[in-house]
Order: sequence, then structure tokens, then C-alpha cells
Amino acid sequence: MSNTYKNSIAYWLLAVTVAVTFCGCEKSPVPEFRLNEVEVLKQEKASLDEGEHFPDSYRDEVQAVLLSLFGTPDDPKFPYLEGEDDEAHEFISFDDLKWAAGRVHSDREGRPISGLYREHCAHCHGIAGSGAGPTAGFLNPYPRDFRQSKFKFKSTKLRRSPTDDDMHRILREGIPGTAMPSFRTLPDEEIVALANYVKYLTMRGQLERMLIAEISSMDDEPLLDISHAGENDLVTMLLKIEDGDWKEEPNEDEEFFEEQLDYIVNELFLENTLARWSETEGTETPVPDVPESLAPGSAENEQLVAAGRELFFGRGNCAQCHGETAMGDGQTANYDDWTNDWIKSAGVDPTDKTTYKDFLAAGALKPRAIRPRNLRLPVYRGGGRPEDLYRRIKNGIEGTPMPAGATLTSEEVWALVAYVKWLPYENAGQQTPKLVNNKAIAR
Amino acid sequence: MNRFWSILFFLVPILAVVTFLMAQFGIWPLNGVWFSDSWSDAGKTIDSIFNGIHLLSAAILLGTVLTIGWILWKFDHRRFEANSKAQYFTHNTKLELIWTAIPAAILITLAFVQMNAWAENKMDRPLIEVGGKMVKAPPTLLVKAKQFGWEFYYPGADGVLETSDDLYIENLMVVPEKTDIVLQLESRDVIHSFFVSDLRLKQDVVPGMVQFAWFNANRPGDLEILCTELCGWGHYKMNAKLKIVSQAQYDGWLSDLQSKYYP
Repeated sequence: MSNTYKNSIAYWLLAVTVAVTFCGCEKSPVPEFRLNEVEVLKQEKASLDEGEHFPDSYRDEVQAVLLSLFGTPDDPKFPYLEGEDDEAHEFISFDDLKWAAGRVHSDREGRPISGLYREHCAHCHGIAGSGAGPTAGFLNPYPRDFRQSKFKFKSTKLRRSPTDDDMHRILREGIPGTAMPSFRTLPDEEIVALANYVKYLTMRGQLERMLIAEISSMDDEPLLDISHAGENDLVTMLLKIEDGDWKEEPNEDEEFFEEQLDYIVNELFLENTLARWSETEGTETPVPDVPESLAPGSAENEQLVAAGRELFFGRGNCAQCHGETAMGDGQTANYDDWTNDWIKSAGVDPTDKTTYKDFLAAGALKPRAIRPRNLRLPVYRGGGRPEDLYRRIKNGIEGTPMPAGATLTSEEVWALVAYVKWLPYENAGQQTPKLVNNKAIAR
Repeated sequence: MNRFWSILFFLVPILAVVTFLMAQFGIWPLNGVWFSDSWSDAGKTIDSIFNGIHLLSAAILLGTVLTIGWILWKFDHRRFEANSKAQYFTHNTKLELIWTAIPAAILITLAFVQMNAWAENKMDRPLIEVGGKMVKAPPTLLVKAKQFGWEFYYPGADGVLETSDDLYIENLMVVPEKTDIVLQLESRDVIHSFFVSDLRLKQDVVPGMVQFAWFNANRPGDLEILCTELCGWGHYKMNAKLKIVSQAQYDGWLSDLQSKYYP
């Protein structure tokens, strides 16, 4: 082997090593809130002719409005219209938003400085809370898309926002039977911060959907020509206008800008989006005292279970979806609201992939029918405590075909709870383990 | 540079062994990087075997590499006349017997020495007395591993697991100190592994199998339960808190959980 040959091998090895070393050094792109393309496509299909699109300027305007009101994933803002005095601070703390946003970063003791959301949530729920993060496709059910402002497991009625306690509870307990884990190992302050950030993403996403819906009714005029605001952000601008501190005699364009700004911030954001979250206190559905007969083995438990069975197959109409066997095999061709939102668009057939390829390209996840819960498994997504099951039956489950049992009396709901708690153990009943000293003998 | 390779060969094992011994005996600056004290007595048996094997390995490693280093040093080509011929030897029955018999003896010794530790941790499940007879203790709680978290089921008022009044909590396990705790381990999906390093407790959790593991913690405190079987993309976040508390605190906590279910 000649020396030159040896040398050339050495140089090649060196070159490859250097190349491999520096390949990994490219900075990953700064995370951004991407536009809700699924909603854009849906609105385009609803209001334009086949193959036509909204002008790009509208997309830019929606992004600009959201940027001005809500900032970026690294630098969040919140439209506190009255600054430090705004009462919105009480139910959505800006410090928490700053803490939960940004890159994952901690101090020398390992305490997080920022990036809670990106560390714990973003890989499933996505940077913008679209429920379509990188790992979302592997999961069944899919992670929640916050932007529709619908949450399943809460103590409030349908179409109401969950309370803070509901959100903290889901973070702490997780959702059994899904990929949502329990974050019980996190300190309470971090749970609260994350819940606040979820609310922030929800409001941002909801306003985004409203703005996109606005586009379809615009008649070539701009949604909001943000250049009128100059250096000011939209909140400052609105305050200026309201104080009569802007143009004394605005021209036609400026007048339209005033109108639109007022409409977007005051009506769409303040009265619709924000109001939902400011009125959650005291909206929990009350749960009457748990009857003693609900405890298995108690005196009248058998009668309660029997009454529950009667309702399950009879007036409660539960068997229609949950099936005669209660294994969740009754009605299995429904979709949840997050999927129905776009599969109802013209020409989309959720069972035929060729009809919705454009939605998948826009970021939608492949539609999957929602399965009624298999009640033979003792796994309860919203919690297995009697009060949890009571509220599931009484309030229904938002975004799913599970209706509210509004016509059921509380006794009837408790009977159904007893029956549901008993179902997984129906056959095991005959093989009660031998009891010695009040403990079972091991197998 | 004459002796570069010989010296390098001497240095590597010596530094490696010194590093590990410093860590094991807590010598600065490597104090505190070794295992923490075992929180269970059964763990102490494991530790003594582990430390013994560790020292033995250090001795064997040193012996082997010093021999190789010495040979590198002694038979350096510069010490021989140019073009002197190397000698080749094959087969030395005595030597081969020695290097087979000694490791075999070590392994057989280890096999006997570890028997108690294995039995204590994997075979002799704690017993309780039932009607004058000693029987295997029933599981204190049921642990279900899933992608990616730990589900804990405590028996309800009937004291029996897997009945409709079971109490459920995720990622938090509370047990009393100085009590035999038996875990019934099951998996919901793939292979996981239940690991509490301070208790020296590790048990694979295999789907379709029911496994039992037990421990007896000798002090109160908070520990971390980790999954030590690569179980998917979220493996890194599959941890839970283990709280070891006094019996009274445990009873209080359990009845608290109980009252959330059946007030």
C-alpha cells in the first residue's frame, strides 16, 4: 500500500468526520404559529368556486392581527385591553404565559425558566394547539385541537368552558385510556401555568377561526389594513380611537379600519372569545350527595344496579350506542366534532381518502370514526369517581355524540352510575375471591 | 515516543480502575456519583454482591491489562537485534487449565453467593399468616404500565383488588414504610420495566403476564419510579412519584382517596 494512498484515505476519513460533525449544527427554525389551513380550505370550499382560493393578502392580514394581539410562540402577548388593571389578568396570568411559552430552558437547579408547553405538550398538541403535533398521528384518539374551544371532560354544561379546576384536574390525573398522561409529578404552579397557556392557545385559535370565517364574507375590502396602526399594536390603537385620540376626520379607509378594529377586538374577541372564559366560576353542575347504596356490597346496591340496567336499555337509550353488550359496539359510524368540522365540507367522504387529500395536505388528520366507550372495561377517561360519572351522564360529553341526560332525575343518574360501575365485573361476580381477614388470598 | 503504546496501555486501565474506585468509595471529586444507600434491606444484599463483583472485576481487569502492558514493554522490537525472528508457541496444557479453572471457580462461587439475593428479591414473596398457615401475601396494589405512565389501583372498602370499588390514581404511588409491599404488575400495551433505583427494585412488565414484585422500605421519603425498558417515543417521560410515608399517614391518604369515591 503506497503512502499516498494511505494519506488519501486519512483525508477522506477526516473530511467525512468534519462533515458529520457540522451537519448537526444547523439551527432549527424558530417555532411559529402556523395559519389554520384546514379552516381556510373549509371556508374556501364553502364560499368560493371549486379550485379558487382567497387572495394571499387575507391570510397575511389574519396572521398580522393575531401577531399583534397574541404575539409569537417565543414572545406571547395577550390583549389586556385595560393593561395592568384589566380583569382578564385574574383568569389568565401574563406571567404564566411567559413561563409556559418560549424555548425549553431551566436554571442551574433544574427549575424551568421557560418552555413548559414545548417540553410537555407541544409534541402532541402542536405549537399552536392544533392537536396535530409530530406525534399526533400515532395516537388514537388524536390529541385535542384546542382551537375549537371545546373540551370533553369538565364539570360544566355543554357549550360552556371548563373551569380552572377541570383543566388542572385533567393535567394532574391524565386521561386514562388515551395517550394523555398524568402530569402529577409537576409542581402545582407549573400545572396552573400550563392550563393558562392552553386557555391562551384556545382563545387565539378561536379568534383565528372567526377571522378566517370573516374572510369569506368580505367583499374585496381588506379584513383589517394594519398599516393604519403604524407602530402601534392593535390594542393601543383601539384605545387611542376610543379616546378620540386618533384622526379627527378619518377618510373612508380609515373609518373602515376603525369599524373593523372595533368589531374584531370588541365583538369577536372580547364578547365572544374572552367572555366564555371569564364566566366559568360557579358554573359547575352540582352533584347531589352520593347515595350510600352506590357502594358495592351495600344494602340496596343490587336494586340500584337493576334500576340502572332498566334505564340503560330503556329510557336512557344508552344501549343504542354502547351496544346491547355494553362493549361500545352499537353505533360506530359517528365522528366527533373536531372531525365533523371539516368532513362536512362539500365533496368530502370520510371513508374515501381520495376525496379529502387536500385537507390532509392542509394539516388535517385522517378522519377516524369515534367509538362509544366499552363499558366492560373499568377505564374512565373523565375519571372513575361517582361524581365524574354522574357529570358525564348528566352533562353529556362535549364534541361527541354522547348527549346530556337532561331529562333524567338525579336518582336515575345515580342508578346508571351504579350499573356502569358494575358492568366490568358482571361475570367476575361469581368468582369472588376468598376473603380471609378481609383480604383476598393471593392467586 | 518510544514507549508510547506501552505507556498508553498501562494508563487506560489504571485510570479507569482508579476512577471507579474513587466513585465507589466516595473520594473527592467523585463523591456522590455512586448509588445512594439502599432504602430496603433486600437491596443491601444486592449492593454487597454488586460491590464485591465490582472489586473483583477491577482486580481482574488490572491483572489482565498489566500483563498485556508488561508484554508490550518487555518485547519492544527495539530491544532485539534487527531481523531477529519471532518465536511461535502453541498449546500449553498447564496454562490453559489454569485460565479455565480459575474463572470457572469464580463463576460457580458467584452463582452460589447470589442465590440468597435472587431468592429474597424474586422468589420468596412475603408471607402472611392465614388460619395458622403461612400463605403468600396478597398484592397491596395493582400497577398497570402503559405508554407512557403508571396506573395504580388500590383496593377499595372490600380490601380486594380488581373489583368495582377499586381506587385509581395515576403516576403517584403511596406506600407505608417498614411494611412488606407486594405489587401486582401488568402492562396495557408493550414491555415496560418497573424500576426504583433506591430500593434496588427492577421488574420487567410484560403484556399478557401478571408479575409480582415486593419491597420493604426502611425509611420515609419521596422516590422516583422510572421505566427502564425502551417502550416507545415517550419512554423518557414515563416516570411516577413514589411516596413512602408512615403507616398512619398512609391510612389517612388511602381513606382520603376512598372518600373521593364513596363519601
